[in-house]
Amino acid sequence: MADDYNNSSGNGSDQGKGRYRARFVRKPRFCQFCSDKTLVIDYKDVKLLRKFTTEEGKIRSRRQSGTCAKHQRAVAREIKRARHIALMPFTDGTWEEKIR
Amino acid sequence: MNEYELVVIIHPDLDDEAIDQALGRIDGWIKDSGGKIDSTDVWGKKHMAYEIQKQNEGIYYLLNVTLVPESIAELERNLTILEPVMRHMIVAK
Repeated sequence: MADDYNNSSGNGSDQGKGRYRARFVRKPRFCQFCSDKTLVIDYKDVKLLRKFTTEEGKIRSRRQSGTCAKHQRAVAREIKRARHIALMPFTDGTWEEKIR
Repeated sequence: MNEYELVVIIHPDLDDEAIDQALGRIDGWIKDSGGKIDSTDVWGKKHMAYEIQKQNEGIYYLLNVTLVPESIAELERNLTILEPVMRHMIVAK
């Protein structure tokens, strides 16, 4: 019972079911902007930037979007520019209803 | 002299004359400060993602401009004061 040794602080019966939170297994990701050099990150290209926001309009994290650090900074910058000139929302229109 | 992109959102209820007048003033400021407008791109009336000045639509213009960097602060100030312009943004290319 070598396994029990690791769980000696808890009760061994939990083993394998929910004792440890299921690990977030993620497919090997790649940065789309690194692999496709022709893609330009631009605040005018709302269709592209939409992919990097949630439905609410929040910027997706690197974990979710899979972009590299360099391009994530660019994406975030361009989204913020697009927001400033009202091409993209800061929040989606229904947030006021949601908090009620 | 550097190249910039200037986006202006003009109030949707204005007629063509008032819009031309506003764009003329912007053109004037740019020329006075030693810059020039390389090209103008009209995006037209677009639905905005959120309200600006109680309006849901705005008339978008993209101006590709060449500016003396020192003149930008002054231009920004003028744009904020110019009534027909609801929002503007100057971005380096």
